[in-house]
Amino acid sequence: MIKSYRLSRMISDIVIYVILGGLGLIWVSPLVWLLFHSFRKEGGVSVPYVFPKEYTLDNYKALFTNTDVFDYPRWFLNTFVVAVFACIISTLSVLMVSYAFSRLRFKSRKMFINIGMVLGMFPGFMTMIALYYLLKAMNLTQTLPALVICYSAGAGLGFAISKGFFDTIPRALDEAATIDGATRNQIFWKIILPISKPILVYTVLTSFIGPWCDFILVKIIMGDNRDNYTVALGLQRMTDKEYKQTYFKQFLAGSVIVAIPITVLFLKMQNYYVEGVTAGGVKG
Amino acid sequence: MNKTKRFCAIALAAMMAVTAFAGCGSDGGSSTASNGGGSNGGSGDSAATPTAPVGDTVADPLYGEGENGTINLKVWGPDAAQEILKKQCVAFSEKMKDYGDVQIEVVPQGEADSATQVLTDAETAADVFGFACDNINKLVKAGALLEVTGAEKDLVESSNSAESVAAATVDGKIYAYPETGDNSYILVYDKSVVSDEQAKTLEGTLEACKAANKKFAMDAGNGYYSCMFMFTGGLKIDGYADDGETQKFTDYDEATLVNTMMAFSKLLAVDYKDTLLNGETTKVVDGFKSGTVGAGIDGSWNFASAKEALGDNAGFAILPTIDVNGTATPIVNMFGYKLIGVNSQTAYPNTSIELAKYLAGEECQQERAEKLNWGPSNTTVAESDIVKNDQALTAILEQSKNSVLQVSVADTFWTPVGTFGNMIVDADKPLTEDAAKDLIKSTISNVKDE
Amino acid sequence: MTFIEYQALTPSQKASYKIKEFFSLLPGRFKSFFAAIGKFFKNLGLKFVGGCKGYGSRFTKGDFATKLSYIVMGFGNFTRGQVGKGIAFLAAEILYISYLAGFGLKWFDKFDTLGTELTHQVIDEVTGRPKSVMGDNSMLILLYGTLTILLTLVFIAVYIANTKAAYEAEQSVKAGKKNLTLKEELQEFLDGKYHVTMLSLPVLLISVFTILPLVFMILIAFTNYDKQHTPPGQLFTWVGLDTFRDVFKVTEGASKGYTFWELTKWTVVWAIFATFSNYIIGMIIALMINKKSIKFKSLWRTLFVITIAVPQFVSLLLMNQILQDDGVVNVIRGYMGLAPISFFNSTALVARVTVIIINMWVGVPYTILQTTGILMNIPEDLYESARIDGATPVVQFFQITLPYMIFVTTPYLIQSFVGNINNFNVIYLLTGGGPNKNPNLYQAGETDLLVTWLFKLTMNSNDYNTAAAVGILVFIVCATLSLITFNMSKSSRNEEEFS
Repeated sequence: MIKSYRLSRMISDIVIYVILGGLGLIWVSPLVWLLFHSFRKEGGVSVPYVFPKEYTLDNYKALFTNTDVFDYPRWFLNTFVVAVFACIISTLSVLMVSYAFSRLRFKSRKMFINIGMVLGMFPGFMTMIALYYLLKAMNLTQTLPALVICYSAGAGLGFAISKGFFDTIPRALDEAATIDGATRNQIFWKIILPISKPILVYTVLTSFIGPWCDFILVKIIMGDNRDNYTVALGLQRMTDKEYKQTYFKQFLAGSVIVAIPITVLFLKMQNYYVEGVTAGGVKG
Repeated sequence: MNKTKRFCAIALAAMMAVTAFAGCGSDGGSSTASNGGGSNGGSGDSAATPTAPVGDTVADPLYGEGENGTINLKVWGPDAAQEILKKQCVAFSEKMKDYGDVQIEVVPQGEADSATQVLTDAETAADVFGFACDNINKLVKAGALLEVTGAEKDLVESSNSAESVAAATVDGKIYAYPETGDNSYILVYDKSVVSDEQAKTLEGTLEACKAANKKFAMDAGNGYYSCMFMFTGGLKIDGYADDGETQKFTDYDEATLVNTMMAFSKLLAVDYKDTLLNGETTKVVDGFKSGTVGAGIDGSWNFASAKEALGDNAGFAILPTIDVNGTATPIVNMFGYKLIGVNSQTAYPNTSIELAKYLAGEECQQERAEKLNWGPSNTTVAESDIVKNDQALTAILEQSKNSVLQVSVADTFWTPVGTFGNMIVDADKPLTEDAAKDLIKSTISNVKDE
Repeated sequence: MTFIEYQALTPSQKASYKIKEFFSLLPGRFKSFFAAIGKFFKNLGLKFVGGCKGYGSRFTKGDFATKLSYIVMGFGNFTRGQVGKGIAFLAAEILYISYLAGFGLKWFDKFDTLGTELTHQVIDEVTGRPKSVMGDNSMLILLYGTLTILLTLVFIAVYIANTKAAYEAEQSVKAGKKNLTLKEELQEFLDGKYHVTMLSLPVLLISVFTILPLVFMILIAFTNYDKQHTPPGQLFTWVGLDTFRDVFKVTEGASKGYTFWELTKWTVVWAIFATFSNYIIGMIIALMINKKSIKFKSLWRTLFVITIAVPQFVSLLLMNQILQDDGVVNVIRGYMGLAPISFFNSTALVARVTVIIINMWVGVPYTILQTTGILMNIPEDLYESARIDGATPVVQFFQITLPYMIFVTTPYLIQSFVGNINNFNVIYLLTGGGPNKNPNLYQAGETDLLVTWLFKLTMNSNDYNTAAAVGILVFIVCATLSLITFNMSKSSRNEEEFS
């Protein structure tokens, strides 16, 4: 009896290993393809075989030396700067809004929460023109601060997960601090924030990644000012009709370089991310 | 233009700024003010300081715009032409130095995108910009282009091919300066696979590819290419209806059109369905490089890479004929021109006009034909040796005589016609006569947005 | 069932009872949701009326300083020791008036017609060359007019608050109380009114950069801003509900109405499949990884999670490349002697299945991350009793794990459902909406979702008004769904227990 139980468990484990291995392969192989072909020497966009025939570093070198048309290093830096500032403002907004909604009680609070819930659900494309002319009225178009504003202004609407997280912190903590004479301001900075590391990391991560992925808004805002493009727009342009033939391999190399820092960051912070999203996103 | 604007905005903002919002307000106001100032300023200046009357030996082509300091212009051109464009702009400034200090900033901006950019925000757009001629209607309707009149009009009409002038004309008025005459696609083939003789017919080309176990690549799902199926059958676009936006079509003979569609479908979706490689045009040159493609339909912007990939075996020819019920019918395509336009909101209209005229002139076209292999719209350059000795340029200029002008094409044209192409080459469901008739009806209806 | 009966149940029976209760209460919650919306608007109206009511009576009852505050804002507070507050009110008034005079009024003025002067060109008499004369720009009038209206609303609120503050300051002086000084009031913002401090910056940002553009977009749906009326060369104007009529009108053959219904159907199908395929597959993988006897847990997890870290547009463009007719997948199929598949350009069905599968590749890692924690928390005794009953792992999954998870993560599910309705990237970057094989669709292909369609409408065919109308309709659906789930989720209902 016990033997057969062990046997069946072993079989089921082996089956699981096989399935996981197979699925893992499926999940990783496109990225492996990306990595290999970013070193490909021959051919243009597609080649009729799986692995490159010749390998070279030229695609990477060209990214950093051949900057007349695609100024990759500059765009990388732009994106980094925008991402850092947008991330700071977003994180502050999100934490402030969710703290207010979670731990403070005031008039029309429920109304604010409901409005906040739905505002983020409009498809954004129609509002881009309006956004452009608003920024133009402030003399900000074609500048990096405009991007920072665009990526962080609406961040406060993404309060749901961190509000959920704050909700799980016992209110007794606040009450005890109030009795000791702490103001709400002090409670926020000295008590709540220090124990909110998972949600802090989660918010920082998600808002930092945002600017690396958008290529639609940035195109409208920057217009012909290529100096202020971001990496995402630059990479997307490399796949445009007129450039694709020449730049596709550089596109692959550029993608790898973008993916590396985010991957490292993500893998390091993974546990916080999981903790934050589990506690905040889906509570019983 | 940019810098002055910014300066005006800052100065005005500083004067009026009481608050953050009032600051925004003054800025918005200032940009309109400076526009008005720009275009009115031109006439104001010339009225105050009368320039030498036309006909005098030293007529000022800038009409006094150079007398109030530096003239700052912005020019848009594609990446490939940056170097030459910069050189030509320096030459222009040199020519104008007696009349004013013209500083020109050359900014890369592809011709396909420039119209969109101008329409999004004409104020920050370039003063002089290149664009593809299918956008001219949009630009004119939005009031974004300065009309070409007087001496400039005569010059444009006399020195360029009639087709290219037609491409720059809207409602009988010319709005831009023709820059090139090669914005289209033809048959590109590997001479070691397809002989020049075989390349004359579509059947021959496909057979040669099939025999060599290679593909024939084209983008049949893209309206720009697939329109050849309908044009060849006699259904052509014919400008706009009276509202100026709804696409009009020529009268067509339904039987001929259906027969042509069936002929294409039989070749591409039945007989040679395994030879056809339907997808982006990058597949043509990619296929040449990897040796999987024998021939394809590709645009002039890829000719250089095709030559690079095939070397001496690179063949270029006008689109082949197709056999429709026993008649070899030449395939009709869509042919575009690149034009240079002057932004109607420019602060220096006269200088901009001079610059556009210069960049589109014979001298510059000759230089571009030599250095970039761009086909000219200028009739003199078209006769020059550089064009005559180039198989690709000769072929594409030849094709322009049997094509539909890519002008007054509605924005709603491309998607439905792309669908039209997809249905014709769909190997899962070869076209039947009834389906062809339905397809014609729904395509026309969708293009017209009925 | 009474409480005692409930207590007597085994844990698994308790759980299934709760789950049943949850689903049986759903319809009722829908009803109460709409009641809540009605109440919301009623309260809003009452509040507005209330604010106005006191306005007149305060004026008659107040003394001179209070009365003067009705014209010179902040005067009442200023004379009663609240210098800071008074100056703040006065500053608001000056700001608003200078905004109106310097900018707002001239745009608002044309708001009713959205402009009448066309931009045109004239020939300059001196040079003989053309120049343009700028007319009105309907779009800017609409945008800045909306800005002016919103600012006016805000100003009215501040103005009413000003009269109230003046009156209250007067009353408290009369009652012999000392009004709060500026410092005290500011300190209040760090404690009692801390929510104001916390919310004002985000609310300001959101109002200007989200709400204002949003109102602008909603208004566009009621104009004829389309390809025939594009500023600055042409004007557009108000047309009422015509655009919505177009969207709902289904005619024979190709039309916007037909396209709207077709795409709506596919959008719903897509959202259901995309959501649940990700959810179930992700959960099964998470269960496998977390099975006690499985080793190298973090390695397995990393394998899947690494795809999240690659920017989505890169991985999607990559997928598009890999699945081309001559892409690497078909190359491998060729090695295996199989005929190539045209993933994006054969039939609608193939393309749709392909996007759903690729969407799993994109989305499953998120599910793995998000469900791991909760899966660990499923009470072990649920499984034990099932095992005693002889249930196989598959049966356990469908009878215990899945219902439990759906019950616990409904808000998350709805969120991802709404997210999939608006899933622009996957469709746009993968298929671009293709294959374009249904000639009756207007400016759309067969994998286009409503959201990618409205992108095409704005970018390709400049049907801004239709796009805005479709956007509003999509929004209404998404907003309703998420409001209901948010308000019925346990977290929302129970949150007051904390306070």
